[in-house]
Amino acid sequence: MSRLEAKKPSLCKTEPLTSEKVRSTLSVLKGVIASCYGPSGRLKQLHNGLGGCVYTTSQSSALLRNLSVTHPVLKILTSSVQNHVSCFSDCGLFTAILCCNLIENIQRLDLTPATAIKLNKYLLSLCTSYLKSEACSCRIPVDFRSTHTFLSLVHSILTSKPACMLTRKETDHIGALILKAFLLTIPESTEERMVLGKSIIVPLKGQRVTDSTVLPGLLIEASEVQLRRLLPTQKASGLRVALFCTSLSGDFSNAGEGVVVAHYQVSLENAVLEQLLNLGRRLVTDHVDLVLCQKVIHPSLKQFFSERHVMAIDRVGVTLMESLSKVTGATPIGSLNPIVSTTYGSVKDVCSARFGSKHFFHLLPNEATVCTLLLCSRNDTAWEELKLTCQTAMHVLQLTIKEPWVLLGGGCTETHLAAYVRHKVHHEAEAIVRDDGCTQAKLHVAAEAFCSALESVAGSLEHDGGEILIDTKYGHLWSCQADSASVGNWSDTLSRCGCGLYNSQEELSWSVLRSTYHPFAPQTCLPQAALGSASNLTVDCFTAKLSGLQVAVETANLILDLSYVIEDKN
Amino acid sequence: MASQGSVTAALRVAEVLESIANRCVGPEGGQVLCTKPTGEVLLSRDGGCLLEALHLEHPLARMIVACVSSHLKKTGDGAKTFIIFLCHLLRGLHAIGEKGKDSFTSENIQSHERHWKNCCQWKSISQALQTFQTQTLGCIVDRSLSRHYLSVFSSSTEGRKLCRHSLELLLEAYFCGRVGRNNHRFISQLMCDYVFKCMACESGVEVFELLDHCFAELNVGVTGLPVSDSRIIDGLVLPRDFSMYCPADGDIRMVIVTEILQPQFSSAGSEFVLNSETQFQASQCWITDRTKTVMNHLRGQNVKLLLTSVKQPDLVIYCARLNSISVVECLSAEEVSLVQRITGLSPCVLPEVASQCEISDSTLVKFCKPLILRSKRYVHLGLISTCAFIPHSMVLCGPVLGLVEQHERAFHGAFKMLRQLFTDLDLNYIIQTKQQCNPSPLAYDNSRERNHSPETDKYQDIVAKSKNKLETQTHLEVYSGLGASDTELRAGKPWSAHKKTPIAPSQTDEMLKCLPPERSGIIDNCDLSIENHSTGNPTAEDTGTEISFEHLQVSDNAGKGYTLPVMRKSLDTCTCQGYCSSTVPAGCVLPVGGSFEILMSYYLLSYAKQCRQSDETVISMLIADALLGIPKILYKPKKGKDSFPHIYMRSLHALQASQPMVSGQSGFESVAGKYQLLTSVLQCLMKILTIDLIINIKRQPQKTADQESEDEF
Repeated sequence: MSRLEAKKPSLCKTEPLTSEKVRSTLSVLKGVIASCYGPSGRLKQLHNGLGGCVYTTSQSSALLRNLSVTHPVLKILTSSVQNHVSCFSDCGLFTAILCCNLIENIQRLDLTPATAIKLNKYLLSLCTSYLKSEACSCRIPVDFRSTHTFLSLVHSILTSKPACMLTRKETDHIGALILKAFLLTIPESTEERMVLGKSIIVPLKGQRVTDSTVLPGLLIEASEVQLRRLLPTQKASGLRVALFCTSLSGDFSNAGEGVVVAHYQVSLENAVLEQLLNLGRRLVTDHVDLVLCQKVIHPSLKQFFSERHVMAIDRVGVTLMESLSKVTGATPIGSLNPIVSTTYGSVKDVCSARFGSKHFFHLLPNEATVCTLLLCSRNDTAWEELKLTCQTAMHVLQLTIKEPWVLLGGGCTETHLAAYVRHKVHHEAEAIVRDDGCTQAKLHVAAEAFCSALESVAGSLEHDGGEILIDTKYGHLWSCQADSASVGNWSDTLSRCGCGLYNSQEELSWSVLRSTYHPFAPQTCLPQAALGSASNLTVDCFTAKLSGLQVAVETANLILDLSYVIEDKN
Repeated sequence: MASQGSVTAALRVAEVLESIANRCVGPEGGQVLCTKPTGEVLLSRDGGCLLEALHLEHPLARMIVACVSSHLKKTGDGAKTFIIFLCHLLRGLHAIGEKGKDSFTSENIQSHERHWKNCCQWKSISQALQTFQTQTLGCIVDRSLSRHYLSVFSSSTEGRKLCRHSLELLLEAYFCGRVGRNNHRFISQLMCDYVFKCMACESGVEVFELLDHCFAELNVGVTGLPVSDSRIIDGLVLPRDFSMYCPADGDIRMVIVTEILQPQFSSAGSEFVLNSETQFQASQCWITDRTKTVMNHLRGQNVKLLLTSVKQPDLVIYCARLNSISVVECLSAEEVSLVQRITGLSPCVLPEVASQCEISDSTLVKFCKPLILRSKRYVHLGLISTCAFIPHSMVLCGPVLGLVEQHERAFHGAFKMLRQLFTDLDLNYIIQTKQQCNPSPLAYDNSRERNHSPETDKYQDIVAKSKNKLETQTHLEVYSGLGASDTELRAGKPWSAHKKTPIAPSQTDEMLKCLPPERSGIIDNCDLSIENHSTGNPTAEDTGTEISFEHLQVSDNAGKGYTLPVMRKSLDTCTCQGYCSSTVPAGCVLPVGGSFEILMSYYLLSYAKQCRQSDETVISMLIADALLGIPKILYKPKKGKDSFPHIYMRSLHALQASQPMVSGQSGFESVAGKYQLLTSVLQCLMKILTIDLIINIKRQPQKTADQESEDEF
């Protein structure tokens, strides 16, 4: 009998954000996250005192997964960022930093939570409607005729993850591979509903990064002995494939709930084996060249197959089944008895492949949207990071196909948005206040908090003590070296803005980002000329960033709205 | 160890709870973050959730929490108001007790004796409360409050129709207190759309019943997306992927099975004897053939979708693929029952499928396709409904799971609230019998005198009053014009119909004659009591209304062309012996922001004034004062003209001048819900008052109390 125990009463705390402890932990978390941000971000080494490998990273997904946050308020923040990352893969750090900044900035103000939330919501809607509008000048349409934008996008993602430890050449190589793998997953025939294929990442550690490659079709890992049995095929028309999802080991699974009694002379093994061999004969007469099985094939059956020059690969595993079915066009067979010939598929060829120390069967498809990205790296931790980065990049490319826009990266979108919001609030305060029913002063205060939160996200890109500037024409971000910052003659040292769209040749004037500048109207509508000339832009995923912005503001509002924290102490 | 259970102790507990509830109540209230021992984080503004999360130790507190949750189970709303109201009641009682204490101290008795004496006093108050709640409260609601009712229905010639604008206002007010202020407008809009999309006919209690039961199956939570991505999807979404998906168009028939379609060697309780290897092989073959036949048969019947509550073997899935039948496995019992409720389809039994006859238990679906939400695959079914509910699913998005769950619970509560709003609430009370049982000889004389007064005078009186009421009518109409709300206009109309009914003395006379003699006596008494009422009351209109109600009721019985369907239907029943049962009609609402409380307290006070029993006076004063505590808190953050004293004074003036009350906020709340809250709190208070001693048992709690615990004293 289980012992019943009285529950301990919970701990109830009022106004969690006013406590000093919460504020300090929040600022510690912000410090950790902000220092990872951007290409020059600092790396974090995660290790478990009880063992396991040491992990070097600067990505939000790896970082937040391993950080154990205890305070419930921070838990909300981190889980919200993690959920965002699991949806969009990208912009996790951006979301986390923005959210922390907003909470900190608003805490400093003398606004009631209700007002702050209402105004934040309004300012957010201002941003989102601007980003979605045609007039937005920090959004670039994707040109599908060339791979420029896609390459820039992949490049930006690779460079913003310094823990991958890639050299410039390696970055170019991996970037090209990712794009190639992505293009291979796009089906050639366009039906009404396009279904993207899959690219499978196969690890190969201990090799040089430049040895990484993309192969069409699938790689199935195998032992050397297995491969030696593989005979060169003479067929020109491709190989016939049977794909089994049921076990071919002769187990007896459908006994039912009652009792099955077998006479002592009856050998069920023989009976089942007889059935399996029948199946094998049938496959041979159907001219099947390759048998793939998700589960185990009985050794006798395997023997039978190899005697008749039929290749048999078993224990493929459930994860590969969908891709296998796609590559071969075969239907997974779930029965031992008569097989309908339409369920067979085909591949162009099967060959053995050897990469590094590993051996693989390589299934070459006739026409399929499945490809394999063989990813090499020198050590485990860099490989993990690289794999995450590649997955992010693939996902981002998929998102970009759905919404064919990219945002200017390098902090320019943030500063531009902040300038836009400042300008809008400055000039249309009366109209805004009329609709919302709060004072102009409150609006200005809240807008200032919102904009400076955005700007300090951009400011987090700089880790080396340099100065961050904003130009007063486009509202883009410019950074200058630490040594020249003190001198004061910025304009000589500046060459290109954060995203690389503009250079300092034009007549521009700058202002330090941390100081307050007079609101100006950032130039809307992107000049086509500027787009054509600049090929090496830093760009961000539109979908992920927009959603990150929304999630950050929503989460901040949620946290600001808390009036109690009740901790269950059981 | 034992501690005295007294009002003081209960008050102390309630005050702590009140201080928590205060911060979260109303539109200005904040969110509460609860952590579970498992580390999950939960967001809530729901009072019930909050109280449960506290894991309170004090026995009285636990009793209060139990009362709150049983109230919530019924109505889905009002937990925080419950606490605040209860606390104010206790405070009032405490004040009464303090007054009484002075007299006790002068008598100089022992403290524990005093306690017992106190307890007796509380016990008698509790009994008085009980009588008041069961006998008088309903009468006040029915007689006085009912004239302020507004309705969410617009009554037209074809019957009642749910008014979208009123529903929006109602839901907005509800969600205002249940979800964070960040999202409440969006969520209430979403809910409103959902309700209108799901309802086949315009008044569907059964729809809300179904939603209340099955909302867990009708919504899908998605984390990581902004809340604004939440949306309504046509059809039903099942939170799993197809085991086998074959795109199909044209007629798609669907069957549900609850057993494995592949025959097994042996069924439970039986034995299968294998005599030879060939027998085994033959059985295997037979099984395979049989399964194939079954699936082929399904195909022959044009079945293209198979829902199963159990996992099917590989063979079945393979055969389904060969026959291009899509399969969804492992449906939960709730999902199966939901599909059954919507389509009226019952699960197929295996013998029927196996035999080659036609399958009767199949139904058409509009579509079945995979749905991808946040890179997770779901099954999306376009079921064709055979009931009043048109299936729609809600996709709730939010950055964190806690928020999604909060919204889900808020929706669920809202369905409960709507379900209750759409059913009539019975009110039982004793009609004005106090005249007979009143011990005061003076009052009795008074009424006798009135009884002797000539009939004709009375009718003149009535005519005069109905003129008076014409003024009321104009006020109402002006108000409805200003409010520009459909409901208000409609609320006004019945009144006008009402007004134009001529009150012919002769006819009334006739009706009175028809009634049995003692009944007419009661009615006379009634009227007279109302006369009394009017003398203590500055508004003459009140009386007018009351009297004309009586007459209208009579003319309604006579089947005259009296058109006041929804609002006044309640008044047409009157049972013998003065027991009266009536209803708060479905769809009745009042403006949000303390209107109910202010109105109730006003009528309770005026009842107290004309009431001659000291007990009743005390109790109605007590409840009236406590009720005002709620609007006080609601208006706390407001300053200047919107502060509570201003609002209250304005409302009082309006009531005295019979003008409509002006509420500071837009939005409605359900009268039935509020009334139930009032009674639940009173019941809880009665329970508290009847306890005199709390005994603390220091022992592990046991599942069954098998032995008496006398030694624990």
